[in-house]
Amino acid sequence: MISERLKQVILKTLELDDFDFREETIAGDVPGWDSLSHVKVLMAAEAEYGVRFKTVEVLRLRNVGDLQSLVDRKVG
Amino acid sequence: MIFHSPAYLLFLAGVFVLSACAGRRRWAVLLLASAYFYVSLGSPHLTVALALVTGMSYFAGIGLTRCATETGRKRLFVLGVVANLLVLVFLKYLPFLSNALNALLGFVSPAVSVPEPGILASIGVSYYVFQAVSYLVDIYLEVQEPERHPGYFALYLAFFPKLLQGPIERAEALLPQLRIPYTFDYDNVRAGLLMFSIGLFKKVVVADRLAFVVDAVYGDVHAHAGIPTALATLFYAFQLYCDFSGYTDMALGSARVFNIRLTPNFNGPYLATSVADFWRRWHITFSRFILDYIFRPLQMRYRDHREYGTALALLLTFLVSGLWHGAGWGFILWGLLHGTYLAASVFYRPYRKRIYDRLGWEDGAGRRIWQGTATFCLVCFAWIFFRANTVSDAFYAVTHLWDIRGAAPFFVTMGTKLAIGTLLIALILAVDVLHGRMDLVSRLWAMPRWRRWAIYYALLLSVIYRGADVAVDRFLYFQF
Repeated sequence: MISERLKQVILKTLELDDFDFREETIAGDVPGWDSLSHVKVLMAAEAEYGVRFKTVEVLRLRNVGDLQSLVDRKVG
Repeated sequence: MIFHSPAYLLFLAGVFVLSACAGRRRWAVLLLASAYFYVSLGSPHLTVALALVTGMSYFAGIGLTRCATETGRKRLFVLGVVANLLVLVFLKYLPFLSNALNALLGFVSPAVSVPEPGILASIGVSYYVFQAVSYLVDIYLEVQEPERHPGYFALYLAFFPKLLQGPIERAEALLPQLRIPYTFDYDNVRAGLLMFSIGLFKKVVVADRLAFVVDAVYGDVHAHAGIPTALATLFYAFQLYCDFSGYTDMALGSARVFNIRLTPNFNGPYLATSVADFWRRWHITFSRFILDYIFRPLQMRYRDHREYGTALALLLTFLVSGLWHGAGWGFILWGLLHGTYLAASVFYRPYRKRIYDRLGWEDGAGRRIWQGTATFCLVCFAWIFFRANTVSDAFYAVTHLWDIRGAAPFFVTMGTKLAIGTLLIALILAVDVLHGRMDLVSRLWAMPRWRRWAIYYALLLSVIYRGADVAVDRFLYFQF
């Protein structure tokens, strides 16, 4: 389940009005989410939740569900 | 043996029959066939290199799951990757090293020298080493389990359709397919043979014909300037595309016959509307490799520097891309040019939409044609450094692009070849445009039988009647 908070972070970063994010949603499914904007999304999530991702943790991410799980683990 | 040879067709047919009869041992037949295919190149050290990379990666992959500590795990991972890259560096730079050694020996004892290996000394190594590295990285990241069956793992690296020029296959895509029991699939055989034929057409009819003009100009850059150089560069763009994508089609077609689907490597690259888009369409498996395993880690490392960090990550990534293609300043400059294009786009992108809005230029066909043309020009400019025999030749070509003197004799001597080449380029572009809008293969299958067979015969006859002169008897990307 993708939280509304994370959803808003992604929408704001990518300048989208709305998108139906699911656990299995990948970057390629989302308009404007490419390799250049990917790091902006991650940094926005870091700023929103007050966490710092490790490079290895980010490289393991396969979809938005993984990002949500990572955020949840970091926030504890 | 090379793909566009009668020997290969016989080999493919023989392996198909034997593997179909082999049941659960099909992997062994394919592996032995792949080994034979590589040995047939006549360079024993290549087989040793493949065996070394296979063994190191197999044991490193399993070892990564057995390490007791994270430190040990990281050390084994680094060791495995570095060892693989050392094989690549040693073989790829072998000619350069032997030249340097001979130069040194010349001072000591002119009569003593080491053999100088030819340009094919590292054929295939760049591709399967990168594939092995991606395998180890995915295991280290715990997104892939190691393959414990040594036969399947060896086949994953050595599978002959993709051994010499890729695609660079991810473990998750290829390994599961190798385990599926074989059943005869007429559609796959038919599709595979069609893909192979199309690839053959692209290589021997299009690429090899365009090479006449390219080699004439780039073989003596100082004798040409302006329009001839520009045309030769345009022709080279399509020669390289058809040569490499032709090989890829033949590789995918060969694999498809065995019910194995390799990853497509091209998607209408010259229809790209930006350099970033070009790299999503050109040598796709390689660009995904450098994106996932070089760019993304660097981008994360430098993220605190925001756009500057991303720009630096792009420059370094494409520097590596240039180096992968060869130990030459031309390739390095080519890579850095693409890195510069992409780095600039990081800063330019936020303003692009505003500029178009201010100009009142909506997102339509006109804008896409402009973007496509500009992108193609940027890509072709970089190809000059990629193709030129020396860096000084490249700079001469670049600084004389606007020189229109002496163009007339070129058109007199090359007129027919230019005309045929232009028609062939138009054909390739038209097919790419159509392929982006519809499934051409499904349309072909849906045609009446007489029309389908007319196309088959047209392909076959054009391949047979390709002319007496063959400009390029090997694939260009063999050298990378």
